[in-house]
Amino acid sequence: MSTEPSPLPYRDTKPVGAADFYFAINATFRFLLQRFGVDGLRRYWTDLGTQYYAPVAAAWKQGGLPAIAAYWRAFFAAEPGAEVQVREDDKTVVVEVAVCPAFKHLRAHQREIVPCFCQQCYFLNEAVATPAGFTVRVAGGNGSCRQTFLARDDATPPQDFSEIREATC
Amino acid sequence: MLGVYDFCGHYEWTFEWLRQTGGEALVRQYWDEAISQDSQRHAAELILSKGIPGMIEYWGHTLEDEAAGYYCTTSDAVYRIDMHECPSKGFLIRNALQQYHDYCDHCLGWIGPLLRRAGFVVDHQHNHASRCWWEIRRADDPTPPSEPGGLAGEHDVRLLPDWDQTDKMDTYRRANDPDDKLP
Repeated sequence: MSTEPSPLPYRDTKPVGAADFYFAINATFRFLLQRFGVDGLRRYWTDLGTQYYAPVAAAWKQGGLPAIAAYWRAFFAAEPGAEVQVREDDKTVVVEVAVCPAFKHLRAHQREIVPCFCQQCYFLNEAVATPAGFTVRVAGGNGSCRQTFLARDDATPPQDFSEIREATC
Repeated sequence: MLGVYDFCGHYEWTFEWLRQTGGEALVRQYWDEAISQDSQRHAAELILSKGIPGMIEYWGHTLEDEAAGYYCTTSDAVYRIDMHECPSKGFLIRNALQQYHDYCDHCLGWIGPLLRRAGFVVDHQHNHASRCWWEIRRADDPTPPSEPGGLAGEHDVRLLPDWDQTDKMDTYRRANDPDDKLP
C-alpha cells in the first residue's frame, strides 16, 4: 500500500480492483431490491454514502470542488476498464463516464443488471455530497453518463429521475 | 458509484447493515442467495460440474486476480488452500475497517452452501489475522484433516510462527455453514 497522500479514503496494495467484484455489487442490489423494494435499496445506498464514505464527505467539505475532482480521478483510475474524463471550473465538477466499468464487465459476462443500477450514483453520491455542502445531478446511464457536482442552493432543481436511464443487459 | 477497488470495505460494511436490518439470518441469506447463487454463479457452475478440478480452475483464477498470497495442494480426494495473506481481510486490517463482528465468516457463508450442493464438506481454521487453511473433501469421505505439514509440507500455514493466535482461532470440522464453528 502506498504511503503517498491519496484522495481515496481506503487504500489497497494493488493499483486496480478485481473486476469480478462487480458481480457481487450487482447481486447485492438485486438481493436488497427483492427483499426491501426500491425504497429499501435507496436507504442502503444513502446509509452507505453517509457512513462508510464519511471520510470522503469530510475531504470534500474541506477541499471543495478541487477535492471532488481529485477524488473522482483517483477513483476511476482504480476501476478496471473505466473510461472517464473529469472536468472542473469554479462552479462545477463534471464527471463524464464514457465507459462505465461495471456495465462493461457485467455485460462481458452476460450478467443480468438490476434495472435501477444507475440510481446508485445519485443516492450514494448525494449522501456523500450533502454534508460537504454540495449536490449531484446524474444524467444518462446504462453504460455511460454525466455526473455534475455543484454547491447546494435553493435554485438547483431536484434530481429528475427520468434523466437516469434503466439498465438493460 | 460503488467501486471494486475498495470492495471489501463496503462489502464488510454491508454485513453489519444487514444484521442491523434483519438479524444474523438475513446475513446468512445474503451470503447464500446473493453471493453463492448469484454473484459467484461461475464458481458454482465449475464446482458442481467438475468437483475438485473445478475448484482448481475457480480459485486459481480468483486468487490470482485478487493478488492473494496462497498455496494450493490437490489430489483426487482433497483440495487444500493455505492462505498466507488473505487480500480482503488484509485490506480491512490495513484500513482499520470493522463493522461486522466476524468478517471471516463470509467465506464459509457462501462457499459452505455451494459445497453442500456439490457434495463436499470443509475442514477449516481461520485466525482473523489474514491467515487460514481449507481442506475440502467429498461428504462421504471420512478422512480427518491433515496434521500440520502433512499435505502442504512447508507451505502449511499452521507452521508459521504467528499462526496460533488461540484467542482468535475459529475451527470447523466437516462443515458447510458459518455457524458450524466448534466451541
